[in-house]
Amino acid sequence: MKNRAILTALAGLLLSTAAFAQSGEAIKIGVPVGLSGANSVVAPSVVQSSQLAVDEINAAGGVLGRPLALEIADDASGAAGAQRAFDSLVYQKSVNVIISMETSAARNAGLPIIAKGNVPYIYTSFYEGRSCNKNLFVDAWVPEQQVPPIVDNFMKAAKAKKFYLIGSDYSFGRGMLQFSRAYIEKSGGTVVGEDYLPMDGSDWTAIVSKLKASGAEAIITSTAGGAPNVTLTKQLKAAGVNLPYGNLAVDEGTAKGMGKDAAGIYISASYVTSIDSPANQKFLKAMADKFGKDLKTPNDLSVPQYEAIYLYKAAVEKAKSTDTAAVVAALPGVSFEGPRGVISMSKQHHAPLTMYLGQVGDDGGVKVVDTFKDVDPGAQCPNL
Amino acid sequence: MTLLLDIATTAAVLFIVASGLLAIFGVLKIINFAHGAWLTVGAYCSVLIAHWGLNPWLSLPFAFLVGAALGALTERLIVKPLYRRPLDAILATWGLGIVIGQLITLWFGRDVQMTPNLMSGTVGFLGVDYSAYRLFAVVAALAVGIGFTFLLDGTRLGLSARAVIMNESLARALGIDTGNVRLLTFVIGTGLAGLAGALLTPLTSVDPNMGVAWLIGAFMLVMVAGSSFGALAVACLLFGGAQVLVSTFLNPVLGGVTIAVLCALVLRLNPKGFARG
Amino acid sequence: MVNPTRTSRPFNSVALPALAAGALVVVAIGPIVLDRFAVNVLTRSMIYAVLAITVDILWGYAGILTFGQAAFFGIGAYATAIVATHVGDSPAMMALGFVLAVATPMLLGLLVGWLSFYHNSTPLYASVISLVFPIVVTQLVFSGGVWTGSSSGLVGYTTLPLELGGFFRLAGFCLIVIAVAAWIFVKSDAGKLLIAIRDNETRCSYLGLNTSRFKILLTACLAGVAGLAGFLYAHASGVVAPENTGFVFGTELVVWTALGGRGTILGPILGAIGIDYLSANLSGELPFLYQLIVGALFVVMIIVVPGGLAAVVTKIAGIGTNPTAIASVTVKGVASRPSAGWVEARDALIKIENLGKSYGSHHVLEGIDLSVRAGELVSLVGPNGAGKTTLMRCVSDGTLEATGVRQVCGRSIVRLTPSDIVALGVGRKFQVASVFDSLTVADCLRMARMAIDPPSVFAASRTLALPLSSERIVKLTGLDQLLDSSVSLLSHGQKQSLELAMVVALEPRLILLDEPTAGLTKPERTMIGGILKSLTEELGVAAILVEHDLDFVREISSRIVVLHQGKLVLDGSVEEVVNSALVKSVYSGGGHA
Repeated sequence: MKNRAILTALAGLLLSTAAFAQSGEAIKIGVPVGLSGANSVVAPSVVQSSQLAVDEINAAGGVLGRPLALEIADDASGAAGAQRAFDSLVYQKSVNVIISMETSAARNAGLPIIAKGNVPYIYTSFYEGRSCNKNLFVDAWVPEQQVPPIVDNFMKAAKAKKFYLIGSDYSFGRGMLQFSRAYIEKSGGTVVGEDYLPMDGSDWTAIVSKLKASGAEAIITSTAGGAPNVTLTKQLKAAGVNLPYGNLAVDEGTAKGMGKDAAGIYISASYVTSIDSPANQKFLKAMADKFGKDLKTPNDLSVPQYEAIYLYKAAVEKAKSTDTAAVVAALPGVSFEGPRGVISMSKQHHAPLTMYLGQVGDDGGVKVVDTFKDVDPGAQCPNL
Repeated sequence: MTLLLDIATTAAVLFIVASGLLAIFGVLKIINFAHGAWLTVGAYCSVLIAHWGLNPWLSLPFAFLVGAALGALTERLIVKPLYRRPLDAILATWGLGIVIGQLITLWFGRDVQMTPNLMSGTVGFLGVDYSAYRLFAVVAALAVGIGFTFLLDGTRLGLSARAVIMNESLARALGIDTGNVRLLTFVIGTGLAGLAGALLTPLTSVDPNMGVAWLIGAFMLVMVAGSSFGALAVACLLFGGAQVLVSTFLNPVLGGVTIAVLCALVLRLNPKGFARG
Repeated sequence: MVNPTRTSRPFNSVALPALAAGALVVVAIGPIVLDRFAVNVLTRSMIYAVLAITVDILWGYAGILTFGQAAFFGIGAYATAIVATHVGDSPAMMALGFVLAVATPMLLGLLVGWLSFYHNSTPLYASVISLVFPIVVTQLVFSGGVWTGSSSGLVGYTTLPLELGGFFRLAGFCLIVIAVAAWIFVKSDAGKLLIAIRDNETRCSYLGLNTSRFKILLTACLAGVAGLAGFLYAHASGVVAPENTGFVFGTELVVWTALGGRGTILGPILGAIGIDYLSANLSGELPFLYQLIVGALFVVMIIVVPGGLAAVVTKIAGIGTNPTAIASVTVKGVASRPSAGWVEARDALIKIENLGKSYGSHHVLEGIDLSVRAGELVSLVGPNGAGKTTLMRCVSDGTLEATGVRQVCGRSIVRLTPSDIVALGVGRKFQVASVFDSLTVADCLRMARMAIDPPSVFAASRTLALPLSSERIVKLTGLDQLLDSSVSLLSHGQKQSLELAMVVALEPRLILLDEPTAGLTKPERTMIGGILKSLTEELGVAAILVEHDLDFVREISSRIVVLHQGKLVLDGSVEEVVNSALVKSVYSGGGHA
């Protein structure tokens, strides 16, 4: 069912770029994304927001008089698939830039290829931080931006001092919780437990029992997206755990799907659909108009993708060329006002972001509890 | 106390998941590597029942029937030509698992599906608050176990199946239609796998790959148990218990591989596993 | 079943060098004519093809279905990347990385081999271990923190200073070398052992071959090759990730091997390169449908054409339809090896005291006392179910649980495996001819000498050295005219003779024969009887014979032992036994009840 939607969207895209063919060779944007594998749930929304950005830019005259064209490739959400996708995009399709939301394994697998092929790469997924390469830019959040809002709120509002950390055993899970532990301890709290399950694990029984016995006053979880997140939340609920619960890996859409099981969960994100700004209203309306009933709810992964394409446009216009060295030099100095506010990747190739602390309601909707202006990503790549 | 309940309920869940695989391995000496796919099919049966707005409990018989029907097809088309090539049967059923997984993905999408809980909340049991559904799982496991004992000891099919396990050519010589016994056994095994999938939904998420995570553990337990349901129950308690203990006192990541590693070692030291005679 | 021995012999001498040279040329000019994309993708595909070869040797030839090669590959890749990332990237460190990338998988290969293969281990169990191993390795990688980069893998380490084209040529070169080496190996005498093990492992161990040790060594060596592929991969791709070690990748390797055609070396190479290249080109388009098609194709292949595409191609092209090649092997008699205490062993060669064997509450053997001296031909008679075959098993397999004393040449055989007991000088012929159906007659006989003359891993011998006694059997039975024939084409009687020749080729001091004349014609029986008589009388070999044909027994035996319901009821000369009333009653009724 979903595949058909992707295919029709791709066909429509081909038509729209064909209509533009008169003025100059198209600037190709490569989008390797997990159409299959773990990321395939969010990938369609990322493809949709990319299409909207390209359509809008082309309708307004393109970039330096040239149209933008999307090249989408499946990275199968992993390293081997990403190698194939990057090879194909960089060497076969000769794209001018790679802009994508991917898993960390896929990003790492792609880095040697963009270095050898010398193309700029804007990474649009939140991640565990500290991935540095002269061609790599990131416009999504890192732990330094996401964790403090949740921990601060639990310590103040719920007077929680004892935290229990639960995650999936992978880079993101461990990276986020490692930072959380450091931040909690720095803020005067204690971590009474920290446990991980393998990424494909679904039996949290022992961990839940340990949590219940630990006397923890708040939980922070950072699992792999999708299945582990759902199983953990279900099993916590079934075991009657009712502590303040911060989930670093859940997005609005999944929270809605989980229904009552997710009620009360805190999330921290740089984008929630309820942001009340003209730019966001305009974006949501354009998405709804373009995709109608096939629309995938925009989220904290698809919106940075949309903005990254605009940031690339700004950099090309500033450099007056698509030459990689010139674009890479220009990227830190440009900014774009998108649904999340004004975005600029000015801090060691990372971006200061406004963060929103939300709580899932009984209907699955996310209510913004608190807003934190322009949170700094910290020193991600001091050598760049 | 919680620890004991954790062990009992973990063993129960493992038993439910592995019983279908054991039924097939015990009689046919074939490992059904599509077992994970059948769990998934069973879970999606719950999704369909919820989608049609029916009572969630109906998903249990529905999943059994769907699993059994698909099992009948599979036995005739794929497994039957491979009884003499057990290693090839592993591969063919693994390939079938991929196909079923992809078909489910094409039909339902990759997303995690949500199903209504059969039972929610906790109950006070022997002085601790414990998940009601996990306690129900113990009851379900006992029901499956007793059902099977009855089937094997009290029916003609069971008698034939035991004859086939012991000596197939003799069974054939005695006029038992071994082809039919195999078909029926396979159908019951896959039906049970479907049922197990539906029973798992309240504990896990429902997505096209959900079955694979359960496959290896179940597979190892069945290897240790051989062809006896009693041995399977013992293996589930022992190794499920070891998993809970390792997860609780050492490290849950180690706990994840406990069953596989311990079972492999047990088989190395005693190739017959827990099966006697 | 595929029949890999079919390929005609001239291939080795002409076609193989030509093919290898052609492939070298293609690899050398590849980077010039191919675009960068193809060069990059094919580099990786060729590395995967090396792995497919190792899977093919294990599974296609030796019959060991393995999912574990991916783990050895991943370990090699991680060893390389870990050294380059955390230790250093000087040339010396790169060399260290190389050594570790090959040595670590080999050591672990020994461990995995030890776990997987032991006397009476089942193929299913070995597959199970090969499944658990990558799962454990992947889990270790995930928990490795900064050392392994966890789920993100390792990236950004220094690689060999080669351009895309350089890696292409390096990978291609390695692939060709390994493919040629693999080809030579599987066609060599040692390579035939792989097929023998796949066909009939029991026979192998009763030929005195320690198959477990051989399989453990094979696993370790091929783990090293997989590690080498991992080293190449880590350098060529510049990144290593957990999925490189996982069992899903392991199953992919098996799928490629199966589709390409197991047991052909070339098929799996083409399967790996073809499918990987295709999937790189189709990435983005049809991600789900693609896997669906590959999965469905795989299932159909396994059921309908287990030989894979290679089998389809050879069938269409009509290659290999004529398995009988020109008889070019010559047989040569060699003097028997000197053996300490050969003639003076007037003591019992075999001594059994109070032997008992039961299955549950059912006693198959009880209180058996028996000893046999050199030069004796003892016949074991008794009705069906008397325990004759069980007795043979008890003295040829010490791992079979039984009570009492069992000694061969004064040594207890309890807990000794069949191959150990063969080394003590016991040869066993089975009731149903146990030979190797996929091999030729000459290769079967060569297997029987393998424990005595270690096989070459390079060459396929054109001569066959047999002890005179065995050579005589081969000539008497006309097998010398069929040396190059496939065993599957032999008649029932010819297979019986072949097995006897194989057992005699072991130069045993004691031969156990289980109904060697069943189903044979009268002239064939007479001939076998003559052979047995000359073995015992002229060479001083002892023989224990299970036989129903009392006329035959009377003609050749020096002693007869009667078993009835698990007990030894009579032990005496031919005359004593034949005229005994007890034997008559046993055979005329009571025994069959």
